[in-house]
Amino acid sequence: MPDSQPPLLAGTLDLLILKTLSLGPMHGYGIAQHIHRLSGDALRIEEGSLYPALRRMQVKGWVASSQKKTPTGREARYYKLTAAGTRQLAVEEDQFKRSVAVTTRVLRGAES
Amino acid sequence: MTLRELFGRLATWRRRDAMAHELTSEVEAHVALLARDLEREGMSPADALAAARRRIGDVGRLREESRDAWGFPAIDAIVQDVRYALRGLRRAPGFTITVILTLGLGTGANVAIFAVLDRLMFRPFPLLHDPATVGRVYLRTTYRGRSNANSTFPYLRFVDLSAATRTISDIAAQTEWRFAVGTGEAAAVRKIAGVTPSFFRFFDAPPSLGRYFVASEDSTATPVAVLSHRFWATELGSANVIGRRLMIGVVDYTIIGVAPPDFVGTVAGGPPDIFVPLTTIPANLGSWSVESYRRDYSWDWVQVLVRRRPGATRQDASAELTTAYIRSRAAARALNPRVLADSLAHPLAIVGAVKTSAGPDGGAEGRVLLWVAAVAAIVLLIACANVANLMIARLVRRRREITVRLALGVRRGRLLGQFLTEAMVLAVFGAAAGVAFAQIVGAAIQSMLLPSGSSFNLATDWRTLGVALLCATVAALLTALGPAWSASRPDLVSSLRSANRDAMSDRSRVRTMLIVVQTALSVVLLVGAGLFVRSFENVRAVPLGYDARPVIEAVADYRGYTMDSAQAVVVRRQLLAAAQAIPGVVAAARINSRLFGTNTAQLRVDGIDSVEALGRFNFQITTPDYFRVMQTRIVRGRGFTDADRDGAARVAIVSEAMARALWPKAEPLGQCIRVSLGANPAGGRAPCTTVIGIAENTAQQNLTDDPRFMYYLPVDQVAPHMLSTIYLRVARPDARGELERVRRALTRAMPGNGFVVVRPLQEVVDDQSRSWRLGAALFTSFGGLALLVAVVGLYGTVSYSVAQRRQEVGVRVALGARRGHIVRLVVGRAIRPVAIAVVVGLAVAWLVAPKLQPLLYAQSATDPETYLVVAGAMLLAASVAGLIPAARAARLDPCSALRAD
Repeated sequence: MPDSQPPLLAGTLDLLILKTLSLGPMHGYGIAQHIHRLSGDALRIEEGSLYPALRRMQVKGWVASSQKKTPTGREARYYKLTAAGTRQLAVEEDQFKRSVAVTTRVLRGAES
Repeated sequence: MTLRELFGRLATWRRRDAMAHELTSEVEAHVALLARDLEREGMSPADALAAARRRIGDVGRLREESRDAWGFPAIDAIVQDVRYALRGLRRAPGFTITVILTLGLGTGANVAIFAVLDRLMFRPFPLLHDPATVGRVYLRTTYRGRSNANSTFPYLRFVDLSAATRTISDIAAQTEWRFAVGTGEAAAVRKIAGVTPSFFRFFDAPPSLGRYFVASEDSTATPVAVLSHRFWATELGSANVIGRRLMIGVVDYTIIGVAPPDFVGTVAGGPPDIFVPLTTIPANLGSWSVESYRRDYSWDWVQVLVRRRPGATRQDASAELTTAYIRSRAAARALNPRVLADSLAHPLAIVGAVKTSAGPDGGAEGRVLLWVAAVAAIVLLIACANVANLMIARLVRRRREITVRLALGVRRGRLLGQFLTEAMVLAVFGAAAGVAFAQIVGAAIQSMLLPSGSSFNLATDWRTLGVALLCATVAALLTALGPAWSASRPDLVSSLRSANRDAMSDRSRVRTMLIVVQTALSVVLLVGAGLFVRSFENVRAVPLGYDARPVIEAVADYRGYTMDSAQAVVVRRQLLAAAQAIPGVVAAARINSRLFGTNTAQLRVDGIDSVEALGRFNFQITTPDYFRVMQTRIVRGRGFTDADRDGAARVAIVSEAMARALWPKAEPLGQCIRVSLGANPAGGRAPCTTVIGIAENTAQQNLTDDPRFMYYLPVDQVAPHMLSTIYLRVARPDARGELERVRRALTRAMPGNGFVVVRPLQEVVDDQSRSWRLGAALFTSFGGLALLVAVVGLYGTVSYSVAQRRQEVGVRVALGARRGHIVRLVVGRAIRPVAIAVVVGLAVAWLVAPKLQPLLYAQSATDPETYLVVAGAMLLAASVAGLIPAARAARLDPCSALRAD
């Protein structure tokens, strides 16, 4: 049901990818599947933005990649979090929580 | 951009193609995995794969979006543009070659002029340490409103100026002479620089071998010599010569060192061969020089360089030196009361450019070149007009492509960027062509203006290469920017889309104007060329009264060989006899006044109050064969013979002009002239010398405005022990081939260490016509260049308009127009703007004519014949440029022309 899917909040794609990778190395399809599953099938990442985002984060040094075999014996590119990526995850997570808290407070104030 | 990101981008930029490939395979893997999962959900394999592909979307777009994250998109864009430009240019070879050649010719002319000007005036001397702090001292006096800046002073003046130590950290003196070096037949005249030991401190130039001389050797005038690297390598075979002796002039020197390659001192015209202590120079100039140079301010011979202390400005240094100069003048006045009072002379010291051509009283060469630079700039303007024209034509030809690209959403900035890239690529090639062209032209100009010996290689000359690139870039951008801007203008594009031909007429009007401008400028230059060539012809046609080509000028240097006057008479007669005995020599004569180095003496003629009032009368003292050597005819009376010796009746020969001036009505033969060549005998009246012959007029003072008042006296009656110069006439029509043989033969005949210096006399004559030749050569080459560029431009325009009017011509042919009619139509269209341009150009030339007039000899600057010839030549060239495309139009097959489009 792609129509009923809520839009991804701006700037959260990087956070989601970083968070996913903090669980362990994963290939692109795995990342997409993982996010899809964790969101209770509510969120589907566009492949068209996933790969450019991964490239961007690679250039910034947050993730590293290497060619590996999948359990089913297929060649795939695995991404893993670097030390800088771990630090970035903490920063983004903190920023996101604070911005959600602030936004929620404003929303609540306006409703009451 | 963080540092880490920069490195990340650098790393990915290097392997960006591999990364694109990786991305594709990664996406393929993604599609496969997704398809597998979809299959598990129950889709057929084919449907699953199709659905997965749909989900992923366009892989190309994905790659484009990822690319922004990699590397440097801006650089990629530039590389892409350059590739695109090169491809586009390769597809239009005619356009490309024409633009490159035109830019090359235009910039080449300017680069050549810059290179010569730079060498003459601006470029610091090689190896000079911190050139910005080094200056040459000029001393200026202004007397009765006439200002005179000198860079050559007496030695004592240099000593006095050395007192200025507050603003000046180092001071050096130098002087240049030409002395014979070596002994025997190999003796040759070389350039010798006398310098103070401090001179070497101005350079970063440790000696290649041995050492430089020191202060104690300068103060005691010790004859030690430092060789230039070139002299050492070419004359001494790079041997270990330290301690060897070398005869320079009349002094025996000891070689103590060799300067490094490229060390030329601070001499503008050709580097010196040998450096010696300044104080050893006077010994070669005679005892009077040795005695006087430390005693008084009687002769100017040293030039002074100074290095300013850090923080001291030119003004500070000039001020302190002026104080020292005023003090020095006071010291000079104490020795010689005739030194002008400072209140009258306004003495001033100036720390100026090291190159005298750029100093306060720069020479004529600089002025000539600046004037030539203006002409070169006109050539560049013409080239620019031409290139602009070609660019417009190209853009019009590409209008469909541009329209399509704009329609596809190419950003206007990107489109402009591509046009500019193309212009830059053209500029680079144009600059390269320009440098190649300038190498040839510049070397030729330099050889006309400067003494030989200085190098002229532009390929390794960064200043000149920079100017070439700058020149071509500015030209290319100027010519590309306008057309590119208008082509990328949307409203124009919309008009192009509708293929509206009216939009084109606007452009062709601009193009026609450009043609008119460049043709008119070419006409101006061609008129100049015509006038200069005719003026040069006039100079060459001046009757000289002699034939210098088979004549060799030989100057004997007895090099300290002492002889009393009785011995001298014998030695000089023997040398002349030896000269006459050389096989291949037809005749030889000793002379007093070399060509264009005339001498005058007090002349009295009975019955005429003041001979001086009639003009300058020059004399020649010579031996009987002189008129045979020079091929100067004796018109009436007789020439000299061996019988005209001391004791016989005194005789003289006068020129026709002199005879006419002195005795317009009387018979000149038998008249009496009285010449005072020195102290007169008691009674104060010079003896009567009888005129026995009338000689043809000869140009001796200069080529053009010499009144040709000349008289000749036999050496045996006037000064038998003097005259060191011999003129020899050889049997061959050109003396140059005999030069070395004659030099060796004469040097063998010299007593002691004496030697002979030879030169073709024609060279002396050619030097006189140099300025006319320079003007003619430069104007002709630039005028020809301008004509060529204009014709090429015209050809391009006409061919283009023929291509544009294919349909029209096709219709005409289909309707039965004859070939001749089509040709007339096309050529007529080509000629119309040229006819306007010729009128404009001639008018401009006529307005500029008064400025040009002083540079011409016996040639009116408004000469109608020249103007007519230029107009005719231009129209003829335009017709030829129009005929080729016209012929193409006439051969046009109407069917194909009408079917196209």
